[in-house]
Formats: sequence, C-alpha cells, structure tokens
Amino acid sequence: MTEQPAADEGAPGEGTTDGGTPTATDTADGGTPVPTASVDAALASLEDDGLRGYNYAYLDEHTKREVRRAMLKAVAIPGHQVPYASRPMPLARGWGTGGIQASLSLLGPGDTFKVIDQGADGSVNAANIRRLADNTADVTTTTDTTGADLIQSRHRIPEEVLTDDQRLVLQVPITDPLRNVDPSDAANRRRHAHANYGKMWVHLYENVVEYGEINIAARYPTMVAGRYLMDPSPIPRWDVPKLDDADHLTILAAGREARIYAVPPHTAVEPLAFTDREFTVERFPDQACHACGSTDTYLVEVSEEATDRGADAFETRYACNDTSFCEKRREHPELSKDHHLDREGVDWGPGTPDAAADDDTGSAADQGGTGQ
Amino acid sequence: MGYVAVTAGEEIIERAEQLFEKQRVDDNVDALGVDQIEGQLGRLTGQAMSEGGLYAPRLAALAVKQAQGDTVEAAFLLRAYRSTLERFDATATVDPGEMIASRRVSPAFKDVPGGQILGATKDYTQRLLDFDLLEGEPGDPTAEWDLDDEGDPERLTTVTELLRSEGLLHEPEEPERDEPNDTTRESVTHPPERDEVLQELARGETGAVTALGYSALRGYGQVHPTLAEVRVGRLPVRIEHPYTGEDVTVTHTEITESEAVVPVYEKRADPQFAFGYGLTFGRNERKAIGMTVLDASIQLDSEAEPAERAEFVLDTVDGMDSFGFIEHLKLPHYVTFQSILDRIRAIRERQGLSDDGRVADDQPADSAVAEASDDD
Repeated sequence: MTEQPAADEGAPGEGTTDGGTPTATDTADGGTPVPTASVDAALASLEDDGLRGYNYAYLDEHTKREVRRAMLKAVAIPGHQVPYASRPMPLARGWGTGGIQASLSLLGPGDTFKVIDQGADGSVNAANIRRLADNTADVTTTTDTTGADLIQSRHRIPEEVLTDDQRLVLQVPITDPLRNVDPSDAANRRRHAHANYGKMWVHLYENVVEYGEINIAARYPTMVAGRYLMDPSPIPRWDVPKLDDADHLTILAAGREARIYAVPPHTAVEPLAFTDREFTVERFPDQACHACGSTDTYLVEVSEEATDRGADAFETRYACNDTSFCEKRREHPELSKDHHLDREGVDWGPGTPDAAADDDTGSAADQGGTGQ
Repeated sequence: MGYVAVTAGEEIIERAEQLFEKQRVDDNVDALGVDQIEGQLGRLTGQAMSEGGLYAPRLAALAVKQAQGDTVEAAFLLRAYRSTLERFDATATVDPGEMIASRRVSPAFKDVPGGQILGATKDYTQRLLDFDLLEGEPGDPTAEWDLDDEGDPERLTTVTELLRSEGLLHEPEEPERDEPNDTTRESVTHPPERDEVLQELARGETGAVTALGYSALRGYGQVHPTLAEVRVGRLPVRIEHPYTGEDVTVTHTEITESEAVVPVYEKRADPQFAFGYGLTFGRNERKAIGMTVLDASIQLDSEAEPAERAEFVLDTVDGMDSFGFIEHLKLPHYVTFQSILDRIRAIRERQGLSDDGRVADDQPADSAVAEASDDD
C-alpha cells in the first residue's frame, strides 16, 4: 500500500500498536498479502498531519515485515549478521538509515520514542530522525530514557538502566569486527561460520606487543553468547558491559551495509581480552561533570576559553555525555542509575554497584593524579 | 519526568533548510523551470535516473532542481522516492536489437550491418567556450536540413551477435537461478552473481564507474577491451497484458548500451573472446563503457587488481553509499573521540611520554577493569 487509505471508521489503534513486539505481526505465511484492514483502522484513527502521500511509518507494510523478520532471525542467532534489503531512506546512508528502518518497523502509534546521537537528544541529526518518526508514525517523543518504549541511539547506551519493556536500536556504521583485520566480507563470513577468530586474537596480541596494551577505543570486538564475534557499534568501551545479561533487547541495524543483528535479553556479551591484559573502560581520573557533579558517568571533555587567565588560555572541562540523565542529576544529585526500578544495585556497567562495588569506577585510578 | 519537547534541534534544521532554499532564489533572475532542466540539461537528469535506478525524466528534473545541480543528491532523492513505490509488475525482457538508435558506433569494425550512426555528438568538435551562448540561443542549426522520410528504422543486429554466431565469443555460464535477484529488494552477499554485479554497476556513480574502469586500462588490470559497439537510443518497455496475456509496449526509455570484446583466451584449445557489457539509463556513454570494462574485469575473478575483485568494485561504486558515509564524518563524533583520547593517553603514559599528570604511573590495566571481562 502506497496511498493513505480513506478515513473510514475503524477500531483505533488496532493492529500496528502491536508492532511493538517483533513477533506479533509476523504470523502470516510467506507470500500471502499482509492483512491491512487493521492497519487501515489504525491509520484512520490518526490525525491527518503526517507526510502526505506516504505510508504510515514511511515504509510500506511488506518492507516493515521483512525488517521484522530479519530482526527475529537476528534474535534467534545472537550476534549473527542477518542480511536484509535495506531501503533507500530520506536520510543519507551512514546517518542512521539502518536504525530508522528498524525503529519504523517496530513503532506503533502507542509508542514513545527517544532518539539520541552521541548521548544528546538535542543533536540535529537526532532531531531529524525524531522528526521523521513524528511526521510519519505519529509517535510520542520523549527525551526521558525511562519513559521511552523504543530508544534509537548513535554510539551510546543510556546511563539509566534499561528494562525488559524497553528496546534499544543502535545505529551501526560497520557491521563486522573482522573488517579491521580483513576487508573482505566473503572471507569474514567464512570465519564467522567456522567461529574462526584467530586473526582477531593475533591482532589483539600484536596490539599488546606494539603498545603494551590493546589500543582499540570504541567498536570493541565482543563475543556474543560464546559463539559470534560482534561489532557492538561505536559505543565506547564504557557501554559494552551494559549489554551483558541485560534485561532489554538490543537491535543493531546498518542501512548502508544492509545487515541487522541483535543481542537478546540475558545474553552473555564478553569483550575479547587476555587474562594479563584485561578489558578496560575509559578512565576519567579525578574528573566530575561540571554541571551535575557525577563521577560515575561517561564524560566528554570540552575545551573552553579561560578568559580569566588571559586571551589565549583554554581550560578543559568535563561534562556528562548523557544529557538527559545529567539534567535529572542536576536536580537530584543522588539519583542512582536504577532509581526507576523496584530493585537496587543493578549491574549496569562501570560505576554501578555490582560492577565495581562502589560508585566511582570512573575515578578508580585516582592514585595521586592531579588533573587540571 | 514526563514528555519533554525538544525544539532547539528542529528549529536549527528548519533554518538550515530555509537558508539552502534561499541560495536558489537569491539572485534576481528567472527561476529555472523543470521543463528547461528536462529539455536542456538531459545529461544531468539522465545521470540522476541512472544512479537513482528510476526512469522518470520529469521527477529527475525536479530532483536536479531541488538538489541545485548535485547529481548524486538528485539520484538519492529519486531512490528514496522509489523505495516507497509499490511494485506492480515486471517488464518482459527486451532484445537490445530492437533499439531505435539515434547513435551507434562500432570501433571494432569499419562497417557493420546497419551502418555506423554518428548521431548527435561533440566527440569530434573542438572544446572551445562558445561565447555566443552568453548572448542567447542562436536558434535551431538543423532548421535548413533537407530531409527525406526514410521510413521505419531498421533493426540493428548487435555486433556481438555477429561474433557469437561465428563462435568467437565465450558464452557465459548459465546462471544457477531463473530469475535475476533484485538487489534493491535482497541485499548482495559476497561473492555476488553476475546479475547482481550488472545491477549494481548500472546504478553505480558515474565518476566511480569511470575511475575504476580507467584503473583497469591504466595498468591495474588486464582488460583493455575493443568496443564492439556503443549505442544510444530508445528501447521499448513491455509488460504482459493482464487480460490478453500478450506483450504490450507501454513506454520507451532512453538508454546507452555498450558491448566490448576482450582478447583473453579462456581455453587454449578453443581461443575465444571474453566480453563485457554496460547499460545505463539516459545518455551516458562514459559510464556505459566504464561499466563494460568493469564487467569484463570482474569476470576474470582475480584477487590481483582492484577492478577485478567484484567485492571491491561493488563495495565502492555506489554513489548513495559512498556519499552518505563520506559525509557522515561531519556528524559529531565526540563520544568515540573521547574513547580514542583515552587509549592514546594510556599508551603515552605507559611509554613514559605523558607529562600532564592525568593519571599516576600505575598500570592502567589494573584500574577501572570492567566486570564483563571476568567470566560468564
């Protein structure tokens, strides 16, 4: 269906609202037409302020079903890259086209959608993606991590713990961790089939020989469910432990490379490392967010003019990368990352109780460092 | 916290869009009409249609106008629009011999059945700026031509057909499937089949196809083809009539087609030419020939040269992909950059190069070890 159907009477919200779970609308056999009556009804219930001439949630129903099928397969084989026919989207490739296809295939009018780019809801590209979903899928949008059903993110996992009724869609630029050691997909597909990751281990070992430690910053090669090596997208190493045994579903979607893969809830996710060269996360010794004072969040540094020290002087300030959580912390400095859950001490990577037995992993290296 | 509206980012986007639109209407000159673009800038619309994979001259003219002449952007607009269209039917296969050619040259032979048709070309004129065009249009230079009606154009036997009938041309292997795989609906996995290679090349970015094809000629490859022919003309689009079941011509498309033979002898005992094929929407001989070279090169299936590796060519030739990923570098990258800073500082500290005192000289590996690395 390409045209908006006539605004007939119909049960509002029926049909596409259950697009929230990938399984719900995929019961039809292959080749049979998608029943669109319920979708029509849902559409009829919407205000007529979407994009004229375009389908609900932009993609046609067949495409959305195909994307959901790819996701189901991805969930069934954690960490395995599933090819799908990535459609050209009205966003440039490399700008979140995989993520938005995954999101639009999942979203229904009852969903609340959050989009973040490098930790910020206000980033222009995040705003553009949010605007597309808002225009075509009539979803509610939010910046509050705990209030979203679906979160699309570029290169960050939020600081607040995600729950089992939330889904995270990560935008992926490069799908294969082995790309760093061999550019050929044909060769790498063979390696994945044989679980032959020797070349990556050698790469890590050479790193240690050359630099004394592993010098991979983001996109850290990660073993999923003990079987497939996965590129967790360019999230910082800080966020990788959050994927391990998580309550939420993570969908990783690449538009340009036309691959979808997933980390289902409660799946083992283990970054590759050696026993004598362990996996380390980013360190922010003695630093705290200048706005909210957090020492247990991923910080980014900003150089600012220090006019009190002369015209050309600069000073480096650190700030929380997750702008939404930082805003909350500014009002409630003691807010924990699992404040919205009915249990405490949830393991959510660095800086959470189970992970480091205290809440300042980020400054654990403060053995006399003076900072600035 | 409930619903929080974010408006700052959206307002900035809108303003940026408005500034971009302003560039087009800035000068006090007549607006460029879509008709003018379609009629007078046919190369631009042809390129946009070819790379966009959608034959729609008027929409292509609109896309060119909207993109302010950026052909890749225009092709991108067409592709994004195309992906929302329902697919009703597939056309019947057309024999290129049916082409109503407005131009046809066969470098391989001095003369060929049907003759050489030079057609409209600037190939043999001197590239001098024509300052008269600054003053306006000189009028139709062919107005005085004395033309007789020659009747319907004759069917042009393709030159490769001649070679093939003599057994000089290597026959490609029969594909393993009956129907070609539509790569816009099923993504390519490597190694690709030839139908997938040809589709991807046909939608490839003109500059990329030309450059990679040239690389093979320049010495990074073995293919230096002889063009059997290059033709420009109109091909009928036929579909099976839903009631009568007979093929009916619904429209024509302007296309450029190129075929080449390559003296690579596949079998010592039975020397034959290898061949390459190129086809694009619109008039774009450069791209069609570049595609021909690449098709021939890829059929050699060698790891030796970039143009001979299907994976390399297909991974780099698409304008949408390269344009998007190259330009995505403009997006903020401060999260990943912070992570890189952490690594480079840690290594400098380890090597005793750092003097900024950020971290004591303890082993970084002993600090801030994440839980996940222990055991599962």
